[in-house]
Amino acid sequence: MFRYESLEDCPLDEDEDAFQGLGEEDEEIDQFNDDTFGSGAVDDDWQEAHERLAELEEKLPSAVNEQTGNGERDEMDLLGDHEENLAERLSKMVIENELEDPAIMRAVQTRPVLQPQPGSLNSSIWDGSEVLRRIRGPLLAQEMPTVSVLEYALPQRPPQGPEDDRDLSERALPRRSTSPVIGSPPVRAVPIGTPPKQVAVPSFNQQVLCPKPVHVRPPVPPRFPAPYGERAPPDQLCGVPNSSLLGHPFPPSVPPVLSPLQRAQLLGGAQLQPGRMSPSQFARVPGFVGSPLAAMNPKLLQGRVRQMLPPAPGFRAFFSAPPPATPPPPQQHPPGPGPHLQNLRSQAPMFRPDTTHLHPQHRRLLHQRQQQSRNQHRNLNGAGDRGGHRSSHQDHIRKDPYANLMLQREKDWVSKIQMMQLQSTDPYLDDFYYQNYFEKLEKLSAAEEVQGDGPKKERTKLITPQVAKLEHTYKPVQFEGSLGKLTVSSVNNPRKMIDAVVTSRSEDDETKEKQVRDKRRKTLFIIEKTYSLLLDVEDYERRYLLSLEDERPALMDERKHKICCMYDNLRGKLPGQERPSDDHFVQIMCIRKGKRMVARILPFLSTEQAADILMTTARNLPFLIKKDAQDEVLPCLLSPFSLLLYHLPPVTVASLLQQLMSLPQGTAAPAPSNPHLSTVLQSKFGLSLLLVVLSRGEDLQSSDPASESAQSNPWTEVMFVATRELLRIPQTGLAKPISIPTNLVSLFSRYVDRQKLNLLETKLQKEEKGESMDILVQPCSE
Amino acid sequence: MNYMPGTASLIEDIDKKHLVLLRDGRTLIGFLRSIDQFANLVLHQTVERIHVGKKYGDIPRGIFVVRGENVVLLGEIDLEKESDTPLQQVSIEEILEEQRAEQQAKLEAEKLKVQALKDRGLSIPRADTLDEY
Repeated sequence: MFRYESLEDCPLDEDEDAFQGLGEEDEEIDQFNDDTFGSGAVDDDWQEAHERLAELEEKLPSAVNEQTGNGERDEMDLLGDHEENLAERLSKMVIENELEDPAIMRAVQTRPVLQPQPGSLNSSIWDGSEVLRRIRGPLLAQEMPTVSVLEYALPQRPPQGPEDDRDLSERALPRRSTSPVIGSPPVRAVPIGTPPKQVAVPSFNQQVLCPKPVHVRPPVPPRFPAPYGERAPPDQLCGVPNSSLLGHPFPPSVPPVLSPLQRAQLLGGAQLQPGRMSPSQFARVPGFVGSPLAAMNPKLLQGRVRQMLPPAPGFRAFFSAPPPATPPPPQQHPPGPGPHLQNLRSQAPMFRPDTTHLHPQHRRLLHQRQQQSRNQHRNLNGAGDRGGHRSSHQDHIRKDPYANLMLQREKDWVSKIQMMQLQSTDPYLDDFYYQNYFEKLEKLSAAEEVQGDGPKKERTKLITPQVAKLEHTYKPVQFEGSLGKLTVSSVNNPRKMIDAVVTSRSEDDETKEKQVRDKRRKTLFIIEKTYSLLLDVEDYERRYLLSLEDERPALMDERKHKICCMYDNLRGKLPGQERPSDDHFVQIMCIRKGKRMVARILPFLSTEQAADILMTTARNLPFLIKKDAQDEVLPCLLSPFSLLLYHLPPVTVASLLQQLMSLPQGTAAPAPSNPHLSTVLQSKFGLSLLLVVLSRGEDLQSSDPASESAQSNPWTEVMFVATRELLRIPQTGLAKPISIPTNLVSLFSRYVDRQKLNLLETKLQKEEKGESMDILVQPCSE
Repeated sequence: MNYMPGTASLIEDIDKKHLVLLRDGRTLIGFLRSIDQFANLVLHQTVERIHVGKKYGDIPRGIFVVRGENVVLLGEIDLEKESDTPLQQVSIEEILEEQRAEQQAKLEAEKLKVQALKDRGLSIPRADTLDEY
């Protein structure tokens, strides 16, 4: 016996006299007394349990029935409810089959417990616990007899009346600022970010019950036969002869409280072998199950925390039950033993502060012992921590005493949240890059498979759930009968801070700089709009495939319309019939994003529209080249342009060439220098484009026998001028073209004589070798 | 169990040694013990590693709880390859001294630059007056 400093008076302590009497009996502290300093102190409080037993006769029969009615469901829910009284629920659940024993009936207290709404925890996060409930239900029903022993040991609270509400509300999660009444959608009982509920231990100060831990020696259970004859734990349990406490199946030499390391280790061990749930394992398991429970018992018997699990035997019964259930459906209920253990483990450390209520010397000794055991344990496992080779890497993981601090259940919980975040009605919209990436991967692997006959690599794919889109229209709450408009603002209905009004300023006020800046902004804006259109248009193919038959014409129309809009945006819409100035387009083309966008738009445009774009580009090419000096994005346009060229008629190609080289029109005398052409030739894109055009023209020429003979072919004329210009080009560095068409030699051979052909050839050859700063052999004058 | 293949879920990384780079530039190395949906991390046996040039020093820090938004990146450390580095480990005092020297040098250079710009009539707004991001 030892004295305690009672923290506060316990108004509900009915038998104050008895307690005090007990306290006064023994003044001496027996340091070697196991009950005082060993397992007995921390694990069990037989004194209080004894007291409870004594009180039983005085209790009025309480209405137990309605509690046991829904007890079945709720008591199983160790995980979800945050106000539960695990011990009591379990006990209640147990009791419902013991109706024949009035003593037990009377023993159970009715406690109004706040039940969370049945539907509030429907979130899939808690599915695990739902499943768990089902397992335990029927199984527990079998274990009544054993557990009921502990009824006597359980803290009994006499009807508390108003204190109940206070107590419970203290245990409830704090009310969040979004009350269900005003402004926001109903608050879940458990906000989505809440981790899996570990039985909360409210601060001790709030406990109103007597804090004195009292040792209780529960009566030897003659009236409760060993329920499982075939299992080890009960044998152990009932077999220990001097077991003053049923909660100590193992000899006191075993450290009464396992440190978290030990527990985690054992947990890890237990979890790693889910398939080997044999009675032998149960034998081991209760060993550590018992101890954290033992640690909790003083709390329990102090009546502090109602959420504690009942002492070991009852729990063991609990515990033995689920594991047989888990091997058969291992996949479905992985957190079978986990939650239990997790609860235990989580609770045990919390009860460490319990020792503050012990005598200081007692506390010290207890701690010393715990430290010793912890150190021992650590020494055993400290060796394997450092520097693993691959082979010992697994060992390292196994030996890691801190492993599995995060339980399977918690991992499942987090991954459930992550999966929920992936739910989407339109994965292509929400998760575009991921979808595309995996499509590409799959195509790759499919292609590889076609080629080789290797075994197919199993690539685990994440299947994201697709949910139907639910339209949630949020209507801000309105009060009836209120004078005036009450603005209730919440997260869904934020208060308007400032009414920002857009005012457009007049042209005169602005300076030139501002105008330039505004113009650029407008261009950027147009680019963004057009880009959205482009993305939509690109997406139509996919939508087309997914849509129904009747929707398709509408889709096509939409698509066409959008394409027109794009084109208008590019060229600048003007009411006039005549094509507007190039300015708009050029502005777009000055911006890097605009160039890339044009490259992507081109395939969707009609031939005329695309040709128009090409012409404009050619016309303004030097300017664009100059502006592109930093970005160097123009080459991206080459391939769509070349593609386009193959569809163009010869006339267009001819005029295009003219534009490109800024050849003198008609019979006008050539200008002394052709800066346009030189700029074009000096740019990679320009030169490549030129070559492609030339090549195309040559193709057309050679493929069309009719035009070959005719001398007044526009193309031929242009070519003559072109070659002249080319020969005239001064000695400047030529760019390296992206690709050189092969038919250029034959092209030029038509129009120039031998000598000049050689020159041209040299030029070309030097280009081919990629010497960009070539000096042409010599300018040839005609 | 293969948690969420193809995603960046951290569940598979639990109980493994990680290097975490924080937004404030610190480098933490520790065993990742627990996570949550915000990628808040619980690091165990954490060590803050300071790198200066080719040297580094480790300051043992114990247990860290890092708020997810402060993590720039994190990666698993291969325990075999961990010791296979050209960097040289030095004592804490030395590395702190090195760091101090490096900071000093940087400040000096910055000062000179600002002065030079000022002489030419230019000014670059200092980083701390701009938005942190």
